Amino acid sequence: MSSLEISALCKRYGPAVALDGVSLTAGQGELVSLLGPSGCGKTTALRCIAGFIDPDDGDIRANGVSILATPSSKRDFGVVFQNYALFPHLNVAENVGYGLLFRKGSKAERERRVREVLEQVQLVGLEHRLPRELSGGQQQRVALARALVIQPRLLLLDEPLANLDARLRDDVRWLIRDVQQASRTTAFYVTHDQAEAMAISDKIAVMKNGKVAQFASPREIYQRPAERYVASFTGEANFLAAEVERALGGGLFRVRAGGATLDVRGAGPFAGSAVLLARPESLAIVTDGTGQLEGRVVKSVFLGAVQHCEVVLRDGASVRLGTPPDRPLPADGTVSVRLDVDRTWLMPDAVP
Amino acid sequence: MTVASLGSRASRLAGSSLIVLLYAFLLIPLVAVVAASLTAGEFMRLPPEGLSLRWFARFFQRGDLVEALLMSLRIALVSTLVTGIVALMAALASQSLSRRMAVWFQIGMTLPLLIPELLTAIGLLFFLYRIGLGKTVLGLQIGHIVLAFPYCYVSIAAALRQIDPALDDASGSLGASGWQTFRHVTLPLAMPGLVMGAVFAFITSFDLYTVSLLLKPIGGNTLPLALFDFLTYEFSPTAAAAATMSVLLAFAGVAVIQKLVGLQRAF
Ligand SMILES: Nc1ncnc2c1ncn2[C@@H]1O[C@H](COP(=O)(O)OP(=O)(O)O)[C@@H](O)[C@H]1O
Ligand SMILES: [Mg+2]
Repeated sequence: MSSLEISALCKRYGPAVALDGVSLTAGQGELVSLLGPSGCGKTTALRCIAGFIDPDDGDIRANGVSILATPSSKRDFGVVFQNYALFPHLNVAENVGYGLLFRKGSKAERERRVREVLEQVQLVGLEHRLPRELSGGQQQRVALARALVIQPRLLLLDEPLANLDARLRDDVRWLIRDVQQASRTTAFYVTHDQAEAMAISDKIAVMKNGKVAQFASPREIYQRPAERYVASFTGEANFLAAEVERALGGGLFRVRAGGATLDVRGAGPFAGSAVLLARPESLAIVTDGTGQLEGRVVKSVFLGAVQHCEVVLRDGASVRLGTPPDRPLPADGTVSVRLDVDRTWLMPDAVP
Repeated sequence: MTVASLGSRASRLAGSSLIVLLYAFLLIPLVAVVAASLTAGEFMRLPPEGLSLRWFARFFQRGDLVEALLMSLRIALVSTLVTGIVALMAALASQSLSRRMAVWFQIGMTLPLLIPELLTAIGLLFFLYRIGLGKTVLGLQIGHIVLAFPYCYVSIAAALRQIDPALDDASGSLGASGWQTFRHVTLPLAMPGLVMGAVFAFITSFDLYTVSLLLKPIGGNTLPLALFDFLTYEFSPTAAAAATMSVLLAFAGVAVIQKLVGLQRAF
């Protein structure tokens, strides 16, 4: 168990920059997600932490002590690989017990510890199977057990659910969260799936081209994103072009957006134009004409529990929102849209 | 029966007969030699005149042939050991090269395969004389190692390439040193290729002719050389008996592969 601090990590592959000044911290027992599209440097960051590659610049400290000079075999970090990387010639028990071969302890102690971890990941009874005789979900559990058995100071997981089908994904995700919480192990979790990151993390680092675009709690990332990129990567989002008229103080700004004048929250200062984030749940069609915005429904899809609509506002911007499915839409499509300004967020288009 | 199913039956039949022909083409020489070695008559002839093992007995009564057989076995064994170890080390080293360098390295390692055996043999002859090993057993041994090496290397390198590099990382992250990773992960996974490479090296060395002819030590002979000498004076089934034993040796090699690693995984 330890805290980890990464500062200004850089890694180049020839002319390509895989990591460009990545700084992150994970407190004791925290699970930190690295979230971003393919190729943004998540795996590279994880491999630097694990010690499989050396960064060109920057530092990694565990409990305040730099570990860059420590080889991966001496770091005591458990790694779960994207393709599992199970030893194909060893059975489940041997795979899980592998890390114990190089540690103190008798054979009986090793066997007891392996059984304990197999119970934790619900694999008892499969001890003598080879990896190729297991399903994807079972292989994933073996990979997790193998990393946990050494009681790692840090758990590193690279897209652990990417190769599982949707139904298994939820199970394994909860399992990972449960064992991580139960053992109070600090963990880094790489994923490109925002829902996964939201559900499992204490903190999320949204990555963009080798940089950290924002590093904060899931709530903050979702509700108060630092820029448009972060918002669009963390769930359904409507973006309204906003002209900032003036700052009202206390984090409030008066803007013109969607054909209306609104007082909204944001993290200024802003120079002229900005982007107003309105998640679908902050928008509602109202029948009494009290909405701040007006527009026309151009598309609607009935999905059972909810009805999705696309509305084109007066200034031409289009937004998506949900309405209760039993409410009929006006025949001419003209609607009044209420914006819950407390759930909107003003942000720059991109942080320079 | 429809026309279509007739057509597919015909093509299946054609396919099967092609395979039968292919096997016949590959096996008839073997069958012929083995049959000839079992004859009770005085001459190599097909079909054999009665069955007996007397020509095998005759082979072992000939001191020169037995000595040549032992020499061949000894040289093949040493070649196998040396090439196995050196090729494994070379193949491991090649893994840490960049992709482009690895291609050149592979070409270098398999060069003896690309150059005519006679040229290699002549080159070796000059070289061995220069370093004072001309016409010695050690010189001959070196020649065999050079020519057996590429087969062994190709087989081992192919097996190593099959190993997911992430296994190395996984093993290391679990606390294994480089040597422990080699011992617990790399070696067991490369074993099929290693065994196959060793068998190839053994059979290659056992069958070499040209190189042996040029490099053979004074007064020493390998089995292929001795058999050739023998056949120029005497066309008796003793030669077929020797050939049969070579065939059995090759089959034994295949059996070893099968037993240790399973043919499916080796090929
Ligand atoms: N071994 C390597 N050689 C060259 N380029 C690499 C190597 N590993 C990663 N890269 C490059 O670095 C960037 C980040 O890669 P990676 O960390 O794997 O991204 P992610 O895991 O987020 O998909 C990519 O552009 C990738 O092409
Ligand atoms: Mg990746």
